Amino acid sequence: MRLLAMMGLALASMCTAQSFGQLQQLSSRDPDGIASLKLDQFMEHVVPEDKDYAVVVQLTALAPEYKCDTCQVVDRSLRAVSRGWQKQQGSAERQIAFATLDVEDGEELFRKMGIDKIPRMMIFPPGRGPHAMSNPSPREMKLNARNSSPAGMASRLSELFHTEIRAHEPISFAAIAKYILGTVAACSGLFAVAKAVRRFSLRKLGRNVWAVCTITFVLVMTSGLMWNRINTPPFIGQTRAGEVVLFAPTNNQQFGVETQIVAAAYAVCALCVVLLVRHTLQVPGSDQRTLVTLLVLASLILTYSYINSVFRLKMPGYPFRLLLP
Amino acid sequence: MSGKFLGLSAADQTSLLRLAILGLISAVAIGSRLYSVIRFESVIHEFDPWFNYRTTKYLVTHGFDKFWNWFDETAWYPLGRVVGGTLYPGIMVTSAAIYNALHLLNLPVDIRNVCVFLAPGFSALTAIATYLLGKEVKNATAGLLAAAFIGIAPGYISRSVAGSYDNEGIAIFLLVWTFYLWLRAVRLGSALNAAFAAISYFYMVSAWGGYVFIINLVPLHVFTLLAMGRYSNRLYVAYSTFYALGTLSSMQVPFVGFQPTFTSEHMAALGTFGLIQVVAAAHYIRGQLPAQQFQTVVRGAVLVLFTVGALALAVLTARGVIAPWTGRFYSLWDTGYAKVHIPIIASVSEHQPTPWPNFFFDLNLLIWLFPAGIFFSFRELTDNHVFLILYSVFAAYFAGVMVRLILTLTPIVCVMAGIAVANLLETYSRNAPSASNSNEPVSMGKRLYALLPRAAVVVNFMFFLFMFQWHCSWITSTAYSSPSVVLASRSPDGSQHIIDDFREAYYWLRKNTRPDAKILSWWDYGYQLAGMADRTTLVDNNTWNNTHIATVGRIMASNEDKAYELARHLDVDYVLVIFGAMLGYSGDDINKFLWMIRIAQGVYPDEVNEQAFFNHEGQYSIGDDASVAMRESLLHKLCYYRFSEVMGPQSFDRVRKQRLPSKVELDNFEEAYTTENWMVRIYKVKDLDNLGRSHHMAAEFAGPRESGFSPF
Repeated sequence: MRLLAMMGLALASMCTAQSFGQLQQLSSRDPDGIASLKLDQFMEHVVPEDKDYAVVVQLTALAPEYKCDTCQVVDRSLRAVSRGWQKQQGSAERQIAFATLDVEDGEELFRKMGIDKIPRMMIFPPGRGPHAMSNPSPREMKLNARNSSPAGMASRLSELFHTEIRAHEPISFAAIAKYILGTVAACSGLFAVAKAVRRFSLRKLGRNVWAVCTITFVLVMTSGLMWNRINTPPFIGQTRAGEVVLFAPTNNQQFGVETQIVAAAYAVCALCVVLLVRHTLQVPGSDQRTLVTLLVLASLILTYSYINSVFRLKMPGYPFRLLLP
Repeated sequence: MSGKFLGLSAADQTSLLRLAILGLISAVAIGSRLYSVIRFESVIHEFDPWFNYRTTKYLVTHGFDKFWNWFDETAWYPLGRVVGGTLYPGIMVTSAAIYNALHLLNLPVDIRNVCVFLAPGFSALTAIATYLLGKEVKNATAGLLAAAFIGIAPGYISRSVAGSYDNEGIAIFLLVWTFYLWLRAVRLGSALNAAFAAISYFYMVSAWGGYVFIINLVPLHVFTLLAMGRYSNRLYVAYSTFYALGTLSSMQVPFVGFQPTFTSEHMAALGTFGLIQVVAAAHYIRGQLPAQQFQTVVRGAVLVLFTVGALALAVLTARGVIAPWTGRFYSLWDTGYAKVHIPIIASVSEHQPTPWPNFFFDLNLLIWLFPAGIFFSFRELTDNHVFLILYSVFAAYFAGVMVRLILTLTPIVCVMAGIAVANLLETYSRNAPSASNSNEPVSMGKRLYALLPRAAVVVNFMFFLFMFQWHCSWITSTAYSSPSVVLASRSPDGSQHIIDDFREAYYWLRKNTRPDAKILSWWDYGYQLAGMADRTTLVDNNTWNNTHIATVGRIMASNEDKAYELARHLDVDYVLVIFGAMLGYSGDDINKFLWMIRIAQGVYPDEVNEQAFFNHEGQYSIGDDASVAMRESLLHKLCYYRFSEVMGPQSFDRVRKQRLPSKVELDNFEEAYTTENWMVRIYKVKDLDNLGRSHHMAAEFAGPRESGFSPF
């Protein structure tokens, strides 16, 4: 609301001579075609509603001292979209410009408009001309996970402007190298395994390998790997003071690291059971036997207590506990 | 174990003991599912059970033929629904059979009670089936433990408490029973057992869509055994019998029909059936030919079969007879598919992936005994164990992808944990080998010392098992025993307050509206409306027609005038909304609204736009902070209309903790009924104005709105 009022004021005070050309000139200084605006330029070229071109502006804080990671992500996406747009056919006819207003240049405006959250993506549609929109007031694009990715942002903008906008992402040689290295490693691993299997045809070993693979698979599945893959949570949590948090404190959320901790704890418990059944009673010497059995049992109880206490953390009000709180 | 007790030999004593334990387990399994009946009353729960209950009543009163040909014109108005051909009739037929049997014995039981207690009854049968399965794969100890686990595991109780009258209630029993018979058939090579397995499979097909799990797992078992070089005539007899009988009988269920011959879910079974014939032929020929010639025959046969198979696949795919590579096929494996492309599936909370606390919540210590059980299975690795391992892997995968599939994981986890604990207890309760063979007298202290590790392990595991029992009872009592039709809250003094708004509203509709009135509500409440209010609904929980659901979503998201036009177009008489702001009931329609909008946007992208419902701060809010589209939407108006009169103008919405809208005007709809706690609000769609004015003009002409409260 306040933003709109601001814009209205600006409209009244500004002269209406705006030109797409000036904006383009600003854009051409940037390799990705994003105009870095100062406050007065923003007021002059972007805000007026009777312009015949559209402007997509990110309000952001890119300087490293602000430590705004999301700003960087959004900036990268916007650059990709802008690059894609410059390359595209017909981008000259549909006049769409991409711009940045950094907090350093527009702090005054940010304060006046009461913007307390950054980054934001504003779209100022054209008010006249062939592509004028019926409602030329500026609108905001919600920066959720989808819209922050280059492809998502491009498709959202395409919907809005009824024209196809594609993102152009630079080829990441690091990623390609990673894939190649990974493939090579996997191939050589397979080759080594094949060699080993041929060399010593150990049927017993084969069975153990299968057992380990199966159990690992079951463990990661029952400790929420699929949830991580679909919901892509952060790997680890953080308090405001910057301390590390391993467990999300609700029972329908989890951090990436939880899967690993929980799977490991389950594995330890299962291993203890197997040891108790198959090995501890075979230890020679009665004192040693007693000692080993009790040690294995103690580690089982401790690990299970740990799982239990973590579960109590995730589910407040759960009444049962073992050794740990 | 020597010496006679009650004149029985040791073996008989053991059998008696087992029988008694199994009986007790069954009693506990039934008993722990009765919390909701004791706390509330014998009532059908939730949403889907209401449909099952309604159809069961229909079956009991009208007979099987009418049930089979039932076209229900009161659902999905104006489209209607062919009920007989679009449901799994297993559960209804089971209840009706029990009902008729009891009446034959002159026990006049109400059909509702049969339905309410069906799932607990079947859970006792599941425990027995699990015992047999455990006994089949290991021994009676493992079987008893597994039965005790499945009797009380919350993962299964969640779907089988009294009143939860749903397909899963009997399907899990059938799942375990079919697997038991199948393993027996494979072990004995018995065609009779395989035929029994096929009959059980047919029952399962008629009861639950999850039968697909069986018809993929059994062929996979066969295929794995073949790949391991474990072909045997026993396997051949078992699978050929099972597949032929099972498939033919499953095709008798109208909802399944000819699917087993062409859909990708059933192709694995068909392919394995072909493969095992080929392998059997190869084995036969090998017996008849010298080795040299056999090699040639095998090479030729492989070449010919491969060519013919590839050609057939190509031709059939090209002609469109089979479509093995459709989106449906991918959606099973690519877990993100549904989330992106099918909002109606993604909107159901049961279809979300499972975070780890859910596993621990539903299975507790079984979840870490499970891998140990898998390990022990690998040590033995008979044909039975191969099956158990395959079941573990696939059930674990599917349970990870979808919360509700923990249900299919639970039986195997119980069996595996049973094996692990049985191994442990057997190892540690066996008599210790005497430390020294000499005849020296061993002091008491030394004997105790030698006993220490065994005692520690056994006592500790006993304690773990007790804890498991406490955990299960607590979870069942707190999490899985509320009927969700009737809610309960506690007053500060600890007394219970029953909130019965749903039934109040449905009963009002039943008594105060024309029998052919059409009620519009979000699809979640369709089955309950049909079952309790007995009125025509537009959409219900059988979400077969996405467009129709999207239309309802669009009505809710449109402004008042547009919604009025659309509602009149669909002959709607009443609109029903669920509103939790007075009680703080968070599962209400305002919280579901985003899904309505999303689903509507999927079909009407020009009319409904999700972004428009977020305000300038990008938040989804209500009241005066909300965006224009949100404030003017029908749902928002229907929910908050006159709400501030009862709560006071400065008060807050107790779910969303936001200030109420200052002004809500409604002209085209008329408040018909609001329940005690304002949870259900019913509005009448006004008739057209007599003088042809718009309702806004009529209201203006009538003068300022009365501020006082007027009775309806």
